[in-house]
Amino acid sequence: MFNMEQHLHLILPVILPVAAGGAMLAGKPLKENKRAGRVVLLLALGLELLLVAQALMKGGGMVFWHLTGTMELAFQIDEISVLFAALTSGIWLLVGIYGISYMSFEHRENQFFGWYLVVLGVLIGLDFSGNLLTMYVFYELMTLTSLPLVLHERTHQAVMAGLKYLFYSVAGAFLALFGIFFLAGIAESLTFVPGGTVTREIIAGKEGLFLGAVVCMIIGFGAKAGMFPLHGWLPTAHPEAPAPASAVLSGIITKSGVLAVIRVVFYIVGPDNLRGTWVQNVWILLSLLTVFMGSMLAYKEPMLKKRLAYSTVSQVSYILFGLSVLNPVAFAGALSHVMFHSLIKNALFLCAGAVIVTTGRKQVNEMKGLGKIMPKALLCYTIVSLGLIGIPPLCGFVSKWYLAAGALASDTGVWSFLGPAVLLISALLTAGYLLPVSLNGFFPGEDLPCGDCMPKEQGKKEPSLSMLVPIGILTAGTLLSGIFPQSFFAMLTGIAERVF
Amino acid sequence: MKEMMLAAPVFLPLAGGAALLALSGRQREKDGPAVRIISGVFTLGVSLVIFWLLNRSPKDSLVLFRLYGSLTVKFQMDPMGSVFLGLIGFLWPLATLYAFEYMKYEERKPAFFAYYLMTYGITAGIALAGNLVTLYLFYEMLTLVTFPLVLHPMTKEAQRASRKYLYYSISGAAFAFIGLVFLLSYSATGTTEFIAGGNLNMEAARGQKNLLLLAYILAFFGFGVKAALFPVHGWLPKATVAPTPVTALLHAVAVVKSGAFAILRLTYFSYGTEFLKGTWAQWAVLSATIITIAFGSTMAVREIHWKRRLAYSTISNLSYILFGAALMSPLGIMASLCHLMAHAFMKICSFFCAGAVIHQTGKTFVYELDGLGKRMPVTFACLTVASLSLMGIPLFAGFISKWNLIHGAFSLGTGWTKGMGRILPFMGAGVILYSALMTGIYMLTVLVRAYFPKDTSGGPDRTETEENISDPGWRMLLPLMVFAAVILLMGIKPEVFLQMDRLRQIGGTIG
Repeated sequence: MFNMEQHLHLILPVILPVAAGGAMLAGKPLKENKRAGRVVLLLALGLELLLVAQALMKGGGMVFWHLTGTMELAFQIDEISVLFAALTSGIWLLVGIYGISYMSFEHRENQFFGWYLVVLGVLIGLDFSGNLLTMYVFYELMTLTSLPLVLHERTHQAVMAGLKYLFYSVAGAFLALFGIFFLAGIAESLTFVPGGTVTREIIAGKEGLFLGAVVCMIIGFGAKAGMFPLHGWLPTAHPEAPAPASAVLSGIITKSGVLAVIRVVFYIVGPDNLRGTWVQNVWILLSLLTVFMGSMLAYKEPMLKKRLAYSTVSQVSYILFGLSVLNPVAFAGALSHVMFHSLIKNALFLCAGAVIVTTGRKQVNEMKGLGKIMPKALLCYTIVSLGLIGIPPLCGFVSKWYLAAGALASDTGVWSFLGPAVLLISALLTAGYLLPVSLNGFFPGEDLPCGDCMPKEQGKKEPSLSMLVPIGILTAGTLLSGIFPQSFFAMLTGIAERVF
Repeated sequence: MKEMMLAAPVFLPLAGGAALLALSGRQREKDGPAVRIISGVFTLGVSLVIFWLLNRSPKDSLVLFRLYGSLTVKFQMDPMGSVFLGLIGFLWPLATLYAFEYMKYEERKPAFFAYYLMTYGITAGIALAGNLVTLYLFYEMLTLVTFPLVLHPMTKEAQRASRKYLYYSISGAAFAFIGLVFLLSYSATGTTEFIAGGNLNMEAARGQKNLLLLAYILAFFGFGVKAALFPVHGWLPKATVAPTPVTALLHAVAVVKSGAFAILRLTYFSYGTEFLKGTWAQWAVLSATIITIAFGSTMAVREIHWKRRLAYSTISNLSYILFGAALMSPLGIMASLCHLMAHAFMKICSFFCAGAVIHQTGKTFVYELDGLGKRMPVTFACLTVASLSLMGIPLFAGFISKWNLIHGAFSLGTGWTKGMGRILPFMGAGVILYSALMTGIYMLTVLVRAYFPKDTSGGPDRTETEENISDPGWRMLLPLMVFAAVILLMGIKPEVFLQMDRLRQIGGTIG
């Protein structure tokens, strides 16, 4: 069926984490032994990074399973795979290191790490997918395998949040499946090709249905990206999970929804088939609505992790907005925001987690004087917050610049002005919901010490090094990618040229 | 001579059942191994005969006797019949094995296994029926022979349920009879022979088109009683009072699928798609199936009794099959048969898991299942496979049949430019996906409860008895594992394990 040796480098990055995770979940010796679990986790994550790097460098594609004559499962590495897979495996390693420290405060550590590894394998499979069917398979698997991460705490709220996550995701997936079925019926193949495979002749006479199917897919896959109207699960589920899980859920798994939308619109449907249609308008409207709504809700939310989750709702829709205007510049901006938001949001959630395990504080108004306790963590928090707001020279500025420039240049009528305006308002709100933590933390005002807002034992109490270092690396990434974005954007512009 | 063997799968079980019934009169044999030996030997024997027949597939038909005039009772093997025959031939021995363990402590074993065995024969008769009269005959007998099985617990509830079952089925058969009579009067051959593509005299039929369509609809709903079509589904959730081997094999496979099978025969082999396609009758039955799909899965979400929940799921899934039938296209019948097979395995597996839990713990409600996943790992692993397949997650059998169904719906829908044909197939596809979501909700809530129990620190600790809960014996586990394996294989290699080529061939004969 396929040459095993030739294609091993594509299969192995998917198999390895799943096998390692499975061993941790099932194997008796690994299940209880915390130390062994940590060793396996780190080894698997490190090795995975190398394997993914090797696979991305070698590239190539393969059909690895024929379901029926017309339904085949295939891997195919292209630039989008490179972007997402590299990001995923890198972040996974950093958050894994952080997680070792964080999870020692929780129970069922190895169970968490087991599922954590399994999800990684599935995500890499998703990134490598070469056609719509394969992507759908891994998409569903991702939902199911990431569920244990969400309800890890096993409290009533956590289990309910897990179910909510599950049902929203499954609803989205089935909505998308409707579109997949339709496309499978009309398109010659579901293989991803830059620029799309659907031609005008194919859809002649069934334009209405075609557009209906596409809108189903955008909204359906948008569920994972937290796009209105299927966003409801995100602010419930992300804060309930342990911090490392919230971080990757917000930073990486929401991006799988984005990946799916990119694959559908730019690699199957073709942007030209959507330009100027009602589908594009609906898509823009929904994404802008989500941007604004997410920011507003984040602004009003008193619990830090939940506030960050709402922020994710808003920020991921920046990406979707960038895609929806169907303009190469905005497309590049959207892709860059995939990476930048991922760095920033992971750092933010890791900081929030560090605050929780060292001080137990969860509400935003409890953060007063935090800068006295953990100055380094709060400094990182502040830097990445500025990045998310979009202050130069941090990376958020660059992506937003491209997004706004692309939107202005696009021929989407009123949206080309309204979009950047909404982005600006949302940036203000972002400042409004992120910076109070820093301000209160560093400048608590005169009413300090005020009893319970200052710990009994005076002085610093930074989180452990294995928590600080990943946060630091993510922060450095935010800074550096903001200062030296040229080569990255050269690659993104290259992708944009090919799909448009 | 070979065609004489066609009668064997029907009459062997009946003989075995009679022997068991004779045994039940003798009190001292009540708990002896005789019951198990007789029913085991007969069931295995019949399955062997069935597989021998499938292997040889005799072309000739066997006319058993002549009722009156052109009404003959006739057995015949055709591709579609052999699909159903092979299915029950595979499931019955495994279900019987499961029943041995499940019924260990029950009363009136000989009678139970007698009727269980006889049902095998009657269902084989439905699969082998060569014309609509024979099918109708066995369809009526199926009601009568399964009635004591529903009644078996002998409780007030069981009495009510069995009575309801009887009334529903018999009145359903009466409606089916109307369809039969009209078919006979307008038949092209003067008989009710099954002919791929239809057996109507088109010339004569054209004159009485609306009347015949009405007759078809009556028959559709008549046979639809056994296939639990809304609004004549009411007996099925009630009938879950029966012991699990009955609910699993009969009310998820043999009985309900006999209804679906009869409708397939009625639609594709009797009235014919050429006559029905595009008429108001097609839109009527298509709408009925769509409503049932939505209704069944919504009710399943609302239901908290586990077996009843699965019964509602059966209602919904049976209408997937009928939806395929109502598409009236080669793709439709193919998808229909595909789901007929896949659903058989998924649902029997789910019911057997529920039965295993009842047998080991006595728990029957969904909210009682907290934490059982750790205690009965094999059972719940099998349930996971069945659940994901029912949802239609790729790489499981359910996805393949769903794919085919929706593919069929879309190709019907795109063939019309206006009217009902433009709307209904797409609505159907949408409802199937809605139902898939509901399936996710009603199956996965069970799994999440079982695998991820809420931490009850501070609450009452688990009792001593709950600590001792474990997987059931091998007689119950083996069928479960076989079914789960088949579901996986069907999903991963459908060409081989769902016999897609053969199904396509059947579709091809419809034209």
